[in-house]
This record gives sequence, structure tokens and C-alpha cells, in this order.
Amino acid sequence: MVTPLRIGILYSTQGPYGAMGRDCHDGAALAIEHLAAAGIAVEPVYADPGGEGPRYVTLARELLRERGCRHIVGTILSAGRKDVIPLVEKHDGLLWYVCPYEGFEANESVIYTGACPNQHLLPLFEYLIPRHGGRAFLLGANYVWGWEMNRLARELLLAGGGEVVGERFLPIDETEIERLVAEIEAQRPSFILNNLIGPSSYAFLAAMSRLAARDPAFRPEVCPVVSCDLTECELGEIEPGVAVGQLAAACYFDSLDTAENRAFKADIAARWGRERRASTFFAAAHAAVDLCARAIVAAGTDEPGAVRQALLGRPHATVQGTIRIDPRTNHAALPFHLGRINAEGGFDIVASRPAIAADPYLTGLRDGRARPHLRVVS
Amino acid sequence: MSTPSFVGRRAVILHRPEESIDRLARQLGLLGLAVERQWSPLAADDSCDIVLVDADQGWAGLLPWEPGAARLPVVALLGSEAPGRIAWAIEQGAGAIIAKPVVPAAVYPALVLAVHAFEERRAARDQIAGLTARLRLRGLVLKAVEAIAVARQIDEEAAYRQLREVAMRRRMTLEQAAAALLARQLALPEAG
Repeated sequence: MVTPLRIGILYSTQGPYGAMGRDCHDGAALAIEHLAAAGIAVEPVYADPGGEGPRYVTLARELLRERGCRHIVGTILSAGRKDVIPLVEKHDGLLWYVCPYEGFEANESVIYTGACPNQHLLPLFEYLIPRHGGRAFLLGANYVWGWEMNRLARELLLAGGGEVVGERFLPIDETEIERLVAEIEAQRPSFILNNLIGPSSYAFLAAMSRLAARDPAFRPEVCPVVSCDLTECELGEIEPGVAVGQLAAACYFDSLDTAENRAFKADIAARWGRERRASTFFAAAHAAVDLCARAIVAAGTDEPGAVRQALLGRPHATVQGTIRIDPRTNHAALPFHLGRINAEGGFDIVASRPAIAADPYLTGLRDGRARPHLRVVS
Repeated sequence: MSTPSFVGRRAVILHRPEESIDRLARQLGLLGLAVERQWSPLAADDSCDIVLVDADQGWAGLLPWEPGAARLPVVALLGSEAPGRIAWAIEQGAGAIIAKPVVPAAVYPALVLAVHAFEERRAARDQIAGLTARLRLRGLVLKAVEAIAVARQIDEEAAYRQLREVAMRRRMTLEQAAAALLARQLALPEAG
């Protein structure tokens, strides 16, 4: 085995989704410190595509071919993941993907520690629809995450007797959202599913807060804006106060009240200051680097087959709780938490569920074993 | 089946510039196709023979036809497994999929499959159009049979046989013969 072992860390810390990339980067960096303290020397090789799509391929190839990394923890958008997968396959490596995503993938060369729809969207709807109703307005970023999340949301809503009262897709950096808000005002949905990311999402939340000030029917407690990807790391980018009361699903929140998380937060405060809040991206990247390094050590080699063998099917203690990677899907079973944005720039957890096994192809929806309970009650 | 050949045909690739698309273009060249690449809507009057389109990023309006009404054989270039993207490819008329990143060995089979699917669909559409027309005229056949039966004082089965004989003699379809007979453009067949 190569010592110290090398792990490639491939995140864009600039650009429209730079906030998520910075949290992933820092979560990975903290994991490396924690591993060093535990006597496991890991040499991180950082690569930053700067938010430019084609750079992911160039840098991933460099990591695999020239920098001696067989394992890459990285990529945020699905397009980046899709571009890097063929390279890790070709070079017999593993990609560790930590972000919530739209599912419909289970690649042998990828370990997925982020949630897929049966771990975020389904439990979110099961909570939301009985409380707020099933008239949804769907918003999506104009790429595969937004398209697929909205498509699935529509399918779930219609199957449960709900209704899609409007649907819009916006580019990540589109901030002209007045017409969209006017349409929402006219349609009067019972909630808004926000699958926007980046600046368009921030502009939208600010506009919704102005709408709620004019019309109490759009206050978050009546008509919430809910999301599966809005986290602590982006709250700082949003106009102060405008998102308070809105909801987001995640498998980790900074406010999680466990002994592990308190210790985790103390380490973050010591390194980045008390203001820094960890997001699910931060926690998941930390967990992925930790799992990766420990599995390599346990296997005695960084060869992917042996690493998978050492990793899969066993419980691993992480700050998200004990997680297990399913040997069938390479996906982590993850807890579900629903957070409400508070005035202090964090989330109050309003609902939780213990670890849910990942079902990336939603086979449970078809065979009825795990059919969600989305019936609209009045 | 004779060996499918694409020599002299024109292919258009609708995809952003990318390394694996270079491989695709090269492979199409080896198969004898002239290749053009663009990442903008295909013109409605474009005279190409086959389209290869990025189904990961493609949008409504990239191809100049309504969903389900493809005018050309289409191959979808797909990296995603997302059902919405597969649905998009089907709507655009894709008769074959090449998974991305493109491996050369996938190109020729996909072209053959896409052209075959396109021709099969066109033949089926033409056949359905013909059958639909005949179905519409079925009422005329019934009326003509009835008229013959009354005029000749024979049963309907015999009347039908006579109508069919007229149609065969005149090299018409049964429906055309019935229409002509009822319009008195055709005399009733002679008895016996």
C-alpha cells in the first residue's frame, strides 16, 4: 500500500455552487486532521475546477493518472459526477459522492453517501402533504436535478390525489423572478417545492418574503417553501431574515443534538470560528473521507474491490449517526431530518426519522412494499 | 437482410464539443458518413439522413418536430439514467441509444437499429393510414352488399362474393368497388 495514502478531493470552491463546494472541501480537510489524530496519515490532493464543467474531467484524470489517487471524493452536480465516473472506471478507482441527488444510478465504481429521493423527497412529502395540502408549485434549476425532482414530485402528487398548480425552471444564475412570483401569487399553492440552487434560489426566497409581507397567505407557516438541497452553507448567501420559517430536508443539520455532533462542532469552532455552521455537505464529505481512509487501512490496499469489501454492509460511526453502505446499491442508509430555518442562520429540526435504506431506482414505489402515504387529507 | 451501409449519408451531431464526441465523429467518418456538429436547433429544412442528439442536455425545440413525429432516424446520446431524460429521447423519436462516454463499438449497431426502427415505424404508419381509410369505407361495402342482395334476390353472402368479383375484375379494392357501385359509376354484375 502507498503510504501515506492519498485521496483526491475534487470540489469547486468558486462559482454558482461554490458554497457547497467550500463545505465539502472543509469537511474533507477536517476529516484528514481527525484521521491524523487517530494515527492514520492521509495526504489529500486538492483539485478545484472553479465551477467550470470541463475542468472536472481534466482534473480527475490528473488525480488518477499523475497524482497517485485511486480514490476521489468529489463532484457536486450530477453532470460532474457523470463526467468523472468513466475515468474512475477506466483507472480502476472509486468515486465518493456525498451530495443529495436525483437517484437512478448505482455504479459499482461510486460510493454514494448523499441521499436519493426515497431518503429526501418521499419523507418530505409524507410530512408535508397531510399538513399543508397537495396543491404544489414546482420550481427547478434548469438541469437534471431540477428536471428529475420535479418530474418525480409530479408523479407522487398525482398518485396521492394532489395537484401541480405550476412548474418553472430557471438557470442557476437567473435572478429575474418577478413574473414567477406573480404566477405563484395567482395560483395560491399549498406549498412550493424549491429545487432551485444558487443565486436564483436566493433571489426567489427574498421575493417570497416580500410576497408574504403583502399577503399573509404566503407566510411560511401557511405556504412553506420546501427544499431538498438548501443547507446551512447557503443561508449566509441569502438576504438576512428572508428565509426564516422555510423548510429543508437533509440527513444532517448543524443543530443535531448528539454528543458526536457537539464534539464535531467544537472542532469546527476551534478551526474556523464559532460562526461557522456545518451543513450536510460538510458532514457528508467528512464522513466519506473518514470511511474511505479507514476502509483502505482495513483492506491493506487501495484496490477498489478490497476497499468495497472492507466498507460495505458494516456499521460506521459518523457525525450523521451510524451509517451502513448497502452492498447491493453502494448507497448509504441515511436518517431523514426536516429543518426549519431560524433567525440565527441555522435550522431547527422539526421532524426526524431513523436511517432509511437507499432505493435509488425507487423499486419500493412500484412493488407497494414501501408505498408512501401521500393522501391529501382536508 | 443485406449489409446496412451508411456510405454517402449525412449525419448531424447535436452536442457540446467534448472528447468522446470527437470519437463519435471519427467513427461515423469511418462508416462513410459526412458529419456535421452543432449545439443549436436543427433547421426544419436540414437535409441530413440521421441525427445523433445529446439526450442529457437536449430541450424541447432542439429537433424540428413535435413529440412522436420524427422525420429522421434519431440516435440518443445518453449518460444519465434519469427516466425524464429517457422519456425525452423517446419523444424525439430515438430508435437507439448510445451510452456516453461513446465507445466506438456502439456506433454502427446504433445506426442500424435507429434506421431500422425509423423505417419500421414509417411502414407501420403508412399501413395504419391505409387500413384507417378502408375502415372508414366499410359502411359503403355493407350498403353495396345490401343493394346487390335486393336487386338480385340473393343472400348477403352471395352478394358479397359478387361484389368481390367485380372488384377483382376491375382491379379495385372492395371499398372502391362498393363506392363506385353505389354512385352508379359501375353496373351491377350480370346474373349467373
